[in-house]
Amino acid sequence: MLETLQNLYLGFTVALSPAVFLYAVIGCIIGTLVGVLPGVGPLAGISLLLPASFGMDATSAIVLLAGIYYGAMYGGSTTSILMRIPGEAASVMTCIDGYAMTRNGRAGPALAIAAVGSYIAGTVSVVALMLLAPPLANFALRFGPPEYCALLLLGLLALAYMSGGSILKALAMATLGLLFGMIGIDPMTGFFRFAYGVVELGDGIGVVPVAVGLFGLSEILLTAGEEAPPEVKKPRLADLLPSRQEWRDSVWPIGRGTVLGFLIGIVPGSAHIISSFVSYAVERRVSKHPERFGHGAIEGVAGPESANNSATSGAFVPMLALGVPSGPIPAVMLAALMVHGISPGPLLIQQQPQLFWGFIASMYVGNIVLLILNLPLVGVFVNILRVPYPYLYPAILIFCVLGVYAVNGSVVDVWIMIAMGALGYILRKLDFETAPIVLGVVLAPMLEMSFRQSLAMSSGDYTIFLSRPIATAMLAAGACLLLLSMLSLLRRGAGWRSALGLANVEKEDTHET
Amino acid sequence: MRRRLALALMLCCIPVAPVLAQEKFPDRPITIVAPFPPGGVADLTARPVAAAMEKILKNPVVVVNKTGAAGAVGMSFVANSKPDGYTLLMALSSISIIPEADKLFDRKPAYTVDQLVPLALFSADPTILAVGANHPWKNVRDLVADAKKRPGAISYSSSGIYGTLHMAMEMFSHAAGIKLNHVPYGGAGPALTAVLGGHQDMLASGPAVLIPHIKAGKLRALAGWGAKRVAAMPDVPTFKELGYDIEFYIWAGAFAPKGTPEAIMKKLRETMKQVVQEPEFKDAMAKLETPIAYMDAPDFQKFYERDGKMLAEATRRIGRIEEPGK
Repeated sequence: MLETLQNLYLGFTVALSPAVFLYAVIGCIIGTLVGVLPGVGPLAGISLLLPASFGMDATSAIVLLAGIYYGAMYGGSTTSILMRIPGEAASVMTCIDGYAMTRNGRAGPALAIAAVGSYIAGTVSVVALMLLAPPLANFALRFGPPEYCALLLLGLLALAYMSGGSILKALAMATLGLLFGMIGIDPMTGFFRFAYGVVELGDGIGVVPVAVGLFGLSEILLTAGEEAPPEVKKPRLADLLPSRQEWRDSVWPIGRGTVLGFLIGIVPGSAHIISSFVSYAVERRVSKHPERFGHGAIEGVAGPESANNSATSGAFVPMLALGVPSGPIPAVMLAALMVHGISPGPLLIQQQPQLFWGFIASMYVGNIVLLILNLPLVGVFVNILRVPYPYLYPAILIFCVLGVYAVNGSVVDVWIMIAMGALGYILRKLDFETAPIVLGVVLAPMLEMSFRQSLAMSSGDYTIFLSRPIATAMLAAGACLLLLSMLSLLRRGAGWRSALGLANVEKEDTHET
Repeated sequence: MRRRLALALMLCCIPVAPVLAQEKFPDRPITIVAPFPPGGVADLTARPVAAAMEKILKNPVVVVNKTGAAGAVGMSFVANSKPDGYTLLMALSSISIIPEADKLFDRKPAYTVDQLVPLALFSADPTILAVGANHPWKNVRDLVADAKKRPGAISYSSSGIYGTLHMAMEMFSHAAGIKLNHVPYGGAGPALTAVLGGHQDMLASGPAVLIPHIKAGKLRALAGWGAKRVAAMPDVPTFKELGYDIEFYIWAGAFAPKGTPEAIMKKLRETMKQVVQEPEFKDAMAKLETPIAYMDAPDFQKFYERDGKMLAEATRRIGRIEEPGK
């Protein structure tokens, strides 16, 4: 413990030295910006800034890039809450209740809770990173394809709890998302699937154009289709901060989101995205009033926003403790270390204590900087809502197109976004939720890859999933989850129609006739 | 009147313009396309090359990452660009594999090999065969003997199907006459993680990536694919020494679209010859622990053709993949 404190002291002397501190602040500001801009996420931001970091020393470079990563998690919630446009993919879940809060005139509290939740999650998870990195990293290594596949299946099952409406509709949407995720080069055989000669489709459909299209564009289309512009309650100054009740409602979601996010972050994959989905599902499940979700429940903002921040620290665990990437973003950061002649590996912490502890300390500092940066911005951002729709929406549209194009410099992505916007419009008119599609698109490639890798490992023998303890335990948990939901379905007996949402449809039909 | 005259003059000049442009090449920014994301080998080589070129030519040189479809998007972009010397490509070994894989699947090729002309080779790092340290094999002979006893039971991870790391292993297993179980991953990083976690038994990868894990005692290097031993691993034999006639390098070299005027090609080649002499470039490559292996266009052409032929053969040998359990 004493050693840790000494090391941390060393870290703070590094992190608070003017140069490193400056880069941490710059990183946080850039991160907030790429988070706020629709489409452009942390990966695009880090990739863009990577060449600029070559001229710095290794510590400054890594502090700058990490600042962009967790800074983007702060910024990502802004457009989600104010305009229902995910600033980056991990903020998809925030769109649902965050935007509902905006419509209820609670945009300020939603933004404030997102910032505070991010701060708490960011800081607590850095403590965990600092104390637990080596043992946890070794645990993460035990996740091979079968374990990973089981984990993803568990995640998909949790989805059944995610949707506010009918389970059937949610599952249909998730399946649609999984189908979209099948587009692209087959990872095991190299076949192009559903690409129709478009080389760009070889990499599949990116989550960014899908998320921006399904959420942002569809919202704009829906609003444009209304006879009178929707009335958004103009925020009053007194409404900028959360009420006491809202604080109280957010405490546990933030705590759970922090733990969940960190644990999921350690496991390889696009952890910050998945963690927000899982956190939302959990909050809805444990809530005493699940019906509030989708209509402006602050827990639906606090949980996911904390989780995605905490997941960024989790993602650094394998990177720093073992020198292996846990996703595309840590991979770029590892490259940044290699450019500076530092070989990332299991000995990094011993060989480069200044870098490791400076990095850790900079994350404490960075999170404080971000909180100071983001809380006053709440007041600024909320005023965007005062802009009349005829001016606001075309501007948002331009930002969406620019943002989605900027990620890969691909026009195909822009077309995908437009098509998804149209699809989202139709689906929402028909009362389908679109979040499960995004989850499907995120999970499909990973699920497929891990499933087929597992079978490649076992030469096609399915018992591989039952012969590895971690995988088996997770599958068992999934099966229990499934049974539990079926049980409640059975118990309700005659109510099964309402459980499937069929009764709802009928009711609406009679309404219209 | 004067403006119209100027316009007429400009119009007259148009047919002459390419000649003029050649004389004072370059007069506008040069773009080097890296067909892989920032932080990859192509990107990390292209950036110091661009910086050195900028200094020598006193003209902006920018690196653009045009990624997608395992590099096919960026490579076909350059292959179909105007051959004026302003759009260049930093390619890796995979440049020879993609057209061959397209043939295999009867696809319209994204580009053909003859659409791109080699300019200069910058690095050629042999891959190294590394096994998890907990495995009993101390050398290639142990491994081959065990693999012959248990065909298909020993597994290796790769950066992806038909990817460079897959090719290296395919060459080895073909030369040794053994059957190994291939489990592709989504990149060299995850492939390494899989071996470290004990989920797969071994992999082929670049020395710079493997060395820290070998030093930490997590991996053991058995052999290298180079013609010579790697300087940083003097104890690790080459496959050639062990009697396997295979060679494989992860190389990075610059290409220009076919039809680029001879004068411009000459200028670019001369520039790249100077690039590898620049101290900043040497320093950047040293930090990446990647030795510079410079070759001018004629030598690079020969190397590239030989390498391409081997890769094409390996690709055809792999053929279309049949999955187990089908």
